[in-house]
This record gives sequence, C-alpha cells and structure tokens, in this order.
Amino acid sequence: MKRAFFCTMIMAVLAATTSFATAQDGWGSLSGQIIVSGDVPENLPEDVKDNPDKAVCLVDGKVPLDDGIVVNDKLQLRDVFVMMYTGRGAKTPEKYHPSFDKQKEVKVTLDNLKCRFVPKSTFARPGQTLILKNSDNIGHNCRIATMEHEHNVNIVKNSQAEVTLGEGSDKIPGEVKCDIHQWMDAVILIRDNPYVAITDAEGKFKIENIPAGDWQFQFWHKKGGYLGTIEIKGYKPDRRGTIETTIKDGENLDLGTLSLPGEALDK
Amino acid sequence: MGCEKAPPVSFRLNAVEWVKQEKTHLSEGQHFDERYKMEIGTILTTLFGTPDEPKFPFLLGEDDPAHEIISLENLKMAAGPARTDKREKPSGLYREHCVHCHGISGDGAGVTASLLNPYPRDFRLGKFKFKSTPLRQPPPDHDLQKTLENGIPGTGMPSFRTLPPEEIQALVQYVKYLSIRGQYERFLLGELAVLDGDPLIDLSLITPSSDGEAPTDEDREAFEEQLDIVIGEGLLDNVIDRWLDPEGKVTRISPAPAEFEPTHPDHATIINRGRDLFFAKGNCLQCHGDTGVGDGQLSNFDDWTNDWKNSSNVDPNDPATYQEFTDAGALPPRPVRPRNLNLAGYRGGDHPSDLFLRLTNGIEGTPMPASTALSSDEIWALIAYVTSLPYVNEGTKPVDKPVNDKQVLR
Repeated sequence: MKRAFFCTMIMAVLAATTSFATAQDGWGSLSGQIIVSGDVPENLPEDVKDNPDKAVCLVDGKVPLDDGIVVNDKLQLRDVFVMMYTGRGAKTPEKYHPSFDKQKEVKVTLDNLKCRFVPKSTFARPGQTLILKNSDNIGHNCRIATMEHEHNVNIVKNSQAEVTLGEGSDKIPGEVKCDIHQWMDAVILIRDNPYVAITDAEGKFKIENIPAGDWQFQFWHKKGGYLGTIEIKGYKPDRRGTIETTIKDGENLDLGTLSLPGEALDK
Repeated sequence: MGCEKAPPVSFRLNAVEWVKQEKTHLSEGQHFDERYKMEIGTILTTLFGTPDEPKFPFLLGEDDPAHEIISLENLKMAAGPARTDKREKPSGLYREHCVHCHGISGDGAGVTASLLNPYPRDFRLGKFKFKSTPLRQPPPDHDLQKTLENGIPGTGMPSFRTLPPEEIQALVQYVKYLSIRGQYERFLLGELAVLDGDPLIDLSLITPSSDGEAPTDEDREAFEEQLDIVIGEGLLDNVIDRWLDPEGKVTRISPAPAEFEPTHPDHATIINRGRDLFFAKGNCLQCHGDTGVGDGQLSNFDDWTNDWKNSSNVDPNDPATYQEFTDAGALPPRPVRPRNLNLAGYRGGDHPSDLFLRLTNGIEGTPMPASTALSSDEIWALIAYVTSLPYVNEGTKPVDKPVNDKQVLR
C-alpha cells in the first residue's frame, strides 16, 4: 500500500529541487579502482574459542584471520559497495535498463565454506532468490538481518536451502551471521535499484547501463561505514560518502584510482 | 505534597539507539547535535501523541487501511492513568497491568525489568517471538492475544485471562501502537548519520522569534513540507504497511501424520525418525546439545541485546565496556539459552501446532532458525521426538547412539 497523497506531495517537492538534465536518453557506465593509503588496520584472528567444530573451521590447522578488511599486496581494497544514492534529497531513475529484468531471474548463491561466508559481500534485489549453501561437513545457520529483510535458515551440512526475497529496499547493507559459529559474518545489500557494484579482489568496480543524467553515488564498507574520507580526483565526497556524477550516453565515466585513508577502516 | 497533581507522563527517547548510532557512524568522542532530540520528539508527538493522549497517523483519513489494525478508541482505553469512570468503564489499562515491566515507552525497561530473567520484551524493535507468521512479519492480533491470555510459562509474563476480551483487545492494540511508534523512532534515529548536521525538521520555522513575532504562513508551510518528507520518505509507511493484512502472512500448519497420535501403533517409529533428524538433518543438537538439555551454545545473545552490543566493542563480561549503553537505559547483556527440551512446557505454547510454527519459521529475535530444508512430515517427526523427551524415565532413557551414528555431526 502506498499513501498516494503523500507520494504526490513528495513528488512535488522533488520536482522543485530536481534539474531537468535527466531528459537526455541513453545509457552510460561508471568505473574505478579503490586502494588504501597509509596503514591498513590489522585483521585479528577469528574468535573461534573452543568451538567443537574447530577442526572444520581452521585453515592449515591455524585459526584464520578475520576477513573484515581484504586488500592485496598493492593495497587494492575488496568489498566496497558503490551504490547509486537514492536517499534523502536524491532522485532515482524513472526506469532501469531492460537487462536488469533478466538479472532478477538469476539466483544468487551465498556459500558457507570452512566457517566463512563466500562471498563476503552480496547484492540481491527484492524478488530474487538466494541459494544459501553449506559446503562444510558441519551444520550452519544463515541469519540475514537488514533494515527491511530478515531470514534465519537452518542449513544442514553439505546441503542448500532457497529463500526468495520479499519486498523492501535497504539503504545500506545489513548483516549475515551464523549463530553456531559466531565469528562468521558477511554483508548483504537488498534493494530494487540495481545500480550497485562491489569492488573485486583488485579493488575494481564497474556499474553499467546507468541512465544518462546526473546521479549521486555512495561508497560504503562494512568496517568503515560511509566512506566520507575517500579521495577521488575532481570530486569532493560528503560525510556520507556520496559524490555527484554526470553519466553520458555511450560513455564510461572512469573515476580512476580512488584512495581511502587506512584509518577510515578503523572503526 | 500528596495532593499535588503528578506531572504529565511522557515517552522517553530511545537513548540506547542514539548511542548505538553514534558508535556506528561517528568517530570516538563525537556526538550528534542535542537539538535532534527535540526534533525527533516533536515529530513523534505530532504523529503519535503522548502516553495520556495517544494519536495514530491515519494519514489517509477515514480510508486509511491502518484502521484495520488500530482503533483510536482502543488506544484511549489502554492509555492514560489507570482509572474507572462513573459508568465503570476502565482506562489506563497499560499503566495498570503492563508498565511495571514493559515501561511507559514499551522499552522493556520498567522498574521490575532488571530483576526478571528473561528481561521483559522491548516492543520498539517490532520483533515478537511467539507468533504464527515468518520473521519480520508482525504477529496477527490473535497471537498477541494468546500471549496475554496464557502468559509465557517460565518467564515473568503472567496470564491476563481474567480480563474481559475487550480489555485484552485494547492492550493488544496498544502494544502494536508502542511497537510501530518505537520502530519509526528507530528509523528516524537511523537518519541522523546521513543528515550531515542538517536539521531533520527545522523547528525554528514554527517557533515565535525572540521579539514575540509569530511564524508566518510561509514558514509554517515550509515546516509542514519538511514534516511530509520525514513521514513520506517511506519511513513511516514502511513500518505501518508491514503490520497490514497479518492474516495473509500466517504460516499454514500441515496436518500431522496419523502415527503422530500417541495411541497409533507406529508412534514409536515416528519418534525414532524424529530422533535421527534431531541428530543429523535437523541440526538441532548444535544448540540444544546431544541430550537436549540446551547446552550446545551458551554464549549467544538475543536480538534485543545484539542490536546495541554489536555496534561497539562490548565485552559482556566487562561492564566498563558497555557502561554508556546501560547509562542510556540498556539492561546488562545476558546470554540467551537454547531451551532445555527435557522439561515439559514451552514458552510459546504446548500445543503441537505451536511447536510446528516454532520449527517451521524459527523464533524471531533468537538464534533459533527456520527449518526450511525439512518437509512437514519431518517437522512432525521432530515434534514427536522432542515432546517425548520429558516423559522418558531416567532408567529407560536410551543410551545407545542414534541409528545413523555415522552421519551424526561432530
């Protein structure tokens, strides 16, 4: 149910503050690569304690380090969410590129492997199906708790369960946890607006098929929250880690190398 | 002294959520501007009134579907100071029966709260354990009504069976009202981090200036526009919409197989099947332990604690690490214990259908997960096994391992 009366009022407010630069047609893309500058905060060993499943959870017989901050030797940072900002005072596209209809049909897999969620960061859309997989020889549960969504599914060893996500769009990613192995954690963003990318092992991201026009994009990381201190040549992010961009038809807007001071991840 | 009128009762700001948001989004030692407290209070009072004069945001007027879940008349019967009018019509039911434990704001931090184990429910997260709907789907009235009528065995929650049905109904709706108000307050507090210092709403627009000049119509309009944004950005709609049509979200209970009946000749078979599931496919032993006494996981916390505990480096064994939260009104963290299944009696009800719902949907706010991978027959088998546990004589308790020992976890 939508409260039509208030929607109309909001539309009126938005229309008054929105430029009409979006009238142009076509689609463009946004890309970049994120590196950490300065010292990268240390990952502590996982808090495995004397959990009876230790044997499965250890890596090479040792307690693994937390995967909260994952950088490679070039300090390229994985797991940063780059999201079109649609919150307070921002506008959202009237239509998404048709390719995203198909994307919604694809099932998204979240595995449990050696007591670790793989991948660490997931994006899914309302209506999409999640495959909660357990590749371990021990039982896990998968507890997803975001602002709008909640699931807590028992996943027996070497099995999988499917969950179809209901309505509701989150503003920022929420948590995925296992209650049996409490150090296990991951993040998931569930929202309808598909203009989201997560940086890969080389810190790279690319969002494609963005409608040509002026859009705000936001940078977020589990350990750093809103990345307000990220340095982007030619842009000045605000405290909530958003920048204003202009996406042009048929062009890629390459933000180049984005540099995040290490202390931003030390929260 | 005794004859003086008591000051009006007011709702308390969710200060725990405030501290949590600061810890999550601000650097150490930084704080939100105090004026946000006034802004949030104004928004909430505008929409929800006060503990003596409750209101409900029926934004679409008489056609608002929220009328199906809340009636102002019921809220008024539950709100205010406890009294009975000349026609013996009671009001103030919440303050008469509930406030001591659940608190005036529904924060579960009433005067008796710290003495109870488990703590009384904080309604403001909108989470309820014993209900017939899946996680994140609020309970229909009959679930809350059942909790009020039966109480929750093994906890401080008593039965209110002696109250007439209309008083129970008024309290059920007041709990929903506190829950919706509390959830919306949490959403508003969650906005502070992204405001970057801008006002949530600019109260100065409606405050008379220092020389007593009243706000202009333009200022008033600008203020109302801001209020519409705060309400209309989906924050309030999201909360209220979730409560609509709860019956449509109720989980269907599949009929139990014939051998579930204890008098059925094959009843022992279904118990054994349940036992195998308990140790393997059901994954139950990982929390409830091999013998079902609930010793598998002893260091988990429920969502009402985790909600603030996980926002900062809290060590549950070191009060100094969470003093800011307890100062703000949080109760000291206590681990949530998996149920001892060797004792008869279950908090959410003893009927097999209650257990079917607990297993199918999991228990909201706790680590108990949904058994998505189990068929309904497998769930019934587990219920047969679990409900047989308290009645097994010590001397005849099976000591042999389950038949599928090789598949048993760890």
